[in-house]
Amino acid sequence: MRSLPVADPGTPDARSPFRYLWWVARVQAAPLFIGIGFAILWWLGQALVPAALGKAVDALAGSDTAALTRWSAVVFALGVVQAIAGVMRHRFAVFVWLGAAYRTVQVTVRQATRLGATLPKRLSTGEVVSVGNSDIAHIGNAMDILLRGTGAVVAIATVTVILITTSLPLGLMVLIGVPLMAAAVGPLLRPLHRRQHAQRDLQGELATRASDIVAGLRVLRGIGGEQVFADRYREESQRVRRAGVRVSSVESLLEGAQVLLPGILIAGVTWLGAHFALDGQITAGQLVAFYSYAVFLIAPLRTLTEAADKLTKGHVAARRVCRVLSLTPEIFPTPTAALATPTLPTAATSTHPTAVTPTTAAPVPTLPTAVTPTTAAPIPTEATPVPTSASAGPTAALATPAPATEATAAPIPTEATPVPTSASAAPTAALATPTAATPTEATAAPIPTSASAAPMTPAAVNIETYAPGAGDLVDVASGVAVRPGRFTALATAVPEEAAAITDRLGRYAEGDVTLDGRQLSTMFLTDLRSRVLVADNAAKLFTGRLRDTLDVRGRESETAGHQGTAAGDRAGSETGETGDSETGDSETRDKRGIEEVETAIADALYAACADDIVAALPGGLDAHVAESGREFSGGQQQRLRLVRALVADPDILILVEPTSAVDAHTEARIAERLAKARAGRTTLVCTTSPLVLDHADHVLYVEDGVVRAEGTHRELLTAEPGYRSTVTRGED
Amino acid sequence: MSKQILPVADEAQVRAYARRLTLKYPRQLGLALGLHALAAIAGLAAPRLLGELVQSVANGMSSTSVDTVVLAIAGFVVLQAVLIRFAVYASSSLGERVLAELREEFVDRVLGLPLSTVERAGSGDLITRTSRDVDALSRTVRQAVPETLIAVVSGAFVVGALVLVGPLMALPALLAVPIIWISTRWYLKRARDGYLRENAAYAEITEGLAETVDGARTVEALGLQESRHARTDTDIARSYAAERYTLSLRMIWFPTVEVGYIIPVVSTLLIGGLFLANGWVSLAQVTAATLYVQQLLDPLDRLLSWVDELQVGGASMARLLGVSNVPDDRTVGEASPDGEELVASEVRYAYREGHDVLHGIDLDVRPGERIAMVGPSGAGKSTLGRLLAGIHGPRSGSVTVGGASLVELPLDELRGHVALVTQEHHVFRGSLRDNLLIARPDATDDQVRHALDAVDWVSDMSLDTVVGSGGAAVSPAEAQQIALARLVLADPHTLVLDEATSLIDPRAARHLERSLAAVLDGRTVIAIAHRLYTAHDADRVAVVEDGQITELGSHAELIAARGPYAALWTSWQG
Repeated sequence: MRSLPVADPGTPDARSPFRYLWWVARVQAAPLFIGIGFAILWWLGQALVPAALGKAVDALAGSDTAALTRWSAVVFALGVVQAIAGVMRHRFAVFVWLGAAYRTVQVTVRQATRLGATLPKRLSTGEVVSVGNSDIAHIGNAMDILLRGTGAVVAIATVTVILITTSLPLGLMVLIGVPLMAAAVGPLLRPLHRRQHAQRDLQGELATRASDIVAGLRVLRGIGGEQVFADRYREESQRVRRAGVRVSSVESLLEGAQVLLPGILIAGVTWLGAHFALDGQITAGQLVAFYSYAVFLIAPLRTLTEAADKLTKGHVAARRVCRVLSLTPEIFPTPTAALATPTLPTAATSTHPTAVTPTTAAPVPTLPTAVTPTTAAPIPTEATPVPTSASAGPTAALATPAPATEATAAPIPTEATPVPTSASAAPTAALATPTAATPTEATAAPIPTSASAAPMTPAAVNIETYAPGAGDLVDVASGVAVRPGRFTALATAVPEEAAAITDRLGRYAEGDVTLDGRQLSTMFLTDLRSRVLVADNAAKLFTGRLRDTLDVRGRESETAGHQGTAAGDRAGSETGETGDSETGDSETRDKRGIEEVETAIADALYAACADDIVAALPGGLDAHVAESGREFSGGQQQRLRLVRALVADPDILILVEPTSAVDAHTEARIAERLAKARAGRTTLVCTTSPLVLDHADHVLYVEDGVVRAEGTHRELLTAEPGYRSTVTRGED
Repeated sequence: MSKQILPVADEAQVRAYARRLTLKYPRQLGLALGLHALAAIAGLAAPRLLGELVQSVANGMSSTSVDTVVLAIAGFVVLQAVLIRFAVYASSSLGERVLAELREEFVDRVLGLPLSTVERAGSGDLITRTSRDVDALSRTVRQAVPETLIAVVSGAFVVGALVLVGPLMALPALLAVPIIWISTRWYLKRARDGYLRENAAYAEITEGLAETVDGARTVEALGLQESRHARTDTDIARSYAAERYTLSLRMIWFPTVEVGYIIPVVSTLLIGGLFLANGWVSLAQVTAATLYVQQLLDPLDRLLSWVDELQVGGASMARLLGVSNVPDDRTVGEASPDGEELVASEVRYAYREGHDVLHGIDLDVRPGERIAMVGPSGAGKSTLGRLLAGIHGPRSGSVTVGGASLVELPLDELRGHVALVTQEHHVFRGSLRDNLLIARPDATDDQVRHALDAVDWVSDMSLDTVVGSGGAAVSPAEAQQIALARLVLADPHTLVLDEATSLIDPRAARHLERSLAAVLDGRTVIAIAHRLYTAHDADRVAVVEDGQITELGSHAELIAARGPYAALWTSWQG
């Protein structure tokens, strides 16, 4: 048996729940078939026992010691077969159960990471998490029951043959009677399920109530109200109890019926059998066998009922999984222009990225080195074979579901590749000295410069006209321009405006935004993400070793080896002098020494004033962060998020209110250290804190969605009353 | 970080509790057990009668007596069915009652946890107990306990019937006892830990998924796709290893037990044949015995399949009961407060022995005064705040209100004097009104609205709007407003606010603090603040650094002193 999880869960067929279940079954066809084989053997072992037992009783009645020994041996052998086949069936059942459950988790997680920022907009966390909580179990059950269910059908067929060949009327009586009796309990099932459902709902509410009490315990113990909550809980608990009793009143009827109905049938069979036996039509042993068969058949019939139930539930669960799997990211991950090119579909439909890699990489002259993205980058001229690099990308191994995904995975092509239209201009920009690039860009791309935003700002205080060039990130709608190598601050009259602007700058929302003079929509999203990092306060910390939580990109290059898309690309885009120097640089970067990482973390911890958090943890950086960092206070979480953003060290770092939850002392230190830590790098901080604004090279003030004024903090304080009232917090 | 802070009950305690619960309803228990016993007895008739029938067929008896015997079989089946119906109903009603009592007592225990424990412990451990352990115990009480009882009762009667058929015929069945006994003991010894590990690994997969989904945007922003996939695969690998382990246990136990099942049947036939040949037993006895032995397998199987569930239930029960083992943190003293003056003198405090975080703090808070505490994080502000609110007692020194030590006041009385609101906010499931009435159950709607006004509540929610998980969305800022409104309703004479407005937009927060101050006029307020305007607006400012108060005085005094506070103020102000 293979080990789980499989490295590549494959591409699920999410077109319909049934297709999904079929896909899950198909990918593990071998263990499924072997398991079915054992299940059949196991059922047959049980099905043949009554016959052998009957023969043994006959031997007893006839005082035939030899026959008795023989048939006893057969009974024993059947028992041993049953035991071995049973446990092997169980083994394979567990394997396919786990295989189905694990694979579903894998594809769900891969889908979640593919959807990224789109996910929370489309689905609640609960909906996706319920996949992990219950749906995977239902899908596993659906696989598991295939084994026993198939075996049960074979067992029933076998018993049918035995019965009919022994005595036609008795055989028919058993065969018609057993399903009838199984069907007779049917009317009870519906009310039972309804009541169970009601009970489960109430119980779910009760559980929520309990966790609510625990989560708010500090409030309750601090301020009172325990008795109210205790009473309310008791009330709901009693309601659950009554619902439980209602369930058991039907359930107990069912239990009774399950004894009564087969019992009556068995009595009937015994009666008829006894008369036949008296007449000499059948032997005493066969009478015992019939009795045992009637008893035995109950089990496979129950299994069939169970199968119907589990397959239905599996189908419902698969529907939920399909719902998650069929979503697509809001922001198209590949350059929109690239869609038009004919080669993309062929690359995209291929399910095996490995097969694609060599062929698609072929157009690039230097084949061996072309595998790492960074080395591919500096090849400016042949950059045109647009979509090819999409599938050649290292992350194609991700192989996420829908056709478009191969492209997501696609990596970091060079800046140059993706843009067919401006293709000639782009490579230059990527390599390039700003002087050479700027004029070309200005003509090639229809980018309104911030000058065009000027009419919207009546005051027009201090607004410079600035032609965007390499490294500039410009939001045309607001006129916010983030310039390379500078520490820019953005103060907005209302916080929502900052969020809207940063969402556009990071392309979490579509907008008219350019980087290096090129529209963001003409870039690969992974490429953009690796160059521009938007760190806001909604960002989550992750469970795990603190070091890994902080040094996210380091960890990635560790786990993904040379596929480290982000790190490699970052290296490529930031040096950007000549091909040779880039290659060299990326190599040294990929082999970032441990000390170098340690230094980076230590520097970031210092800059974010987070040393004390680490110092207080037993184990320091090796301490385990539990519950997504929820055990840290709000201010601590904020500082740790800042550390993470600084360690990631992107070309352009956009920080949204990075010091809103820390005290003034700490804020003052962070403000000072942050500017130093990012010296020479491009940074945009959205804040209204004078402590931070005072350290910025350049401050932009936005009101009503557009830049009203810009300059240094001191300049704006005197020149712009709106700015002053927004940021000053002394007497007023 | 995730530490098990709460104790776990020992085995003796669990046993005593289980015994108490079992014997609490003797009549109901007796009824349920009696009905199950009668049902089991009724179920024993059929094989016995069938044995007679086989004997008669062999002897060639009249068809009327065949009819009588079969009619008797049918009669017993009907009887058994009816008895089972009532037995199951009686036992599950009892089970539901016991279960309800168990969970209600647990919640009572949780609600009675000492204040200091609640403040210190992360909620993780307690949440696990509330959800997972209560669930596990429900399963045990609903299914495992009754199934085990039924299995024991009916198994005992089958053995009894077997002995009645002929004591000799019971002997072959004994052959299986050592096989089943030894293998089951071997299995149980290892199974519990295995299943606990399995469940924990499974929970980790779910948590990992939840984290990925919850942080999907962060994953995209930081390019963490690969590492999330790797985390999932690691979790799965761990889960698979745990599953493999329990599977390997079952791979040995299952077949051994099944062979153990078949041995009695075969040996009954063979030895029965020997006895029959010797004339020690009749054909009817051998047949009935064979059928009984087969019938014994069912209760035995039930029993074995539920024993490990019983173990899991026991472990859960130990964790639920453990909550009540937390020692009470308050020893109520004699003194009752005379006045409202809050005084801290020579206060030292350590979370870990030998590591004082407060080094001899003296602070005299006059009634009606507003004090702002500022200082770098980690300086001990929150710790001092908790001490001033009477949640922890100082290691040495004292914190008193009106001369009485805070930690010696009964909790209810303490709340009337001092209340603490931290930046941690929680909105309960229920109406907005319910959320506020916690602080003062008898408040009128007008009072509730007044409290909301005092915290600048602008949302157009009605008091009946259902909020909390599953209800209308409440932003963190609004949640803090609700927490403050509760405090307004509770109306203690002294309030400790630990960054109670940190999640509110800085500009709105200042306004809120001012309207709050107007409502709380005359109340003593100790505000731990990270925004300096709180200090500016206060009567006195205490700068806390390294567990000491380094500067103390009014804003104007401190500015005039040109110390570190003044410098910070100048740059902060912009």
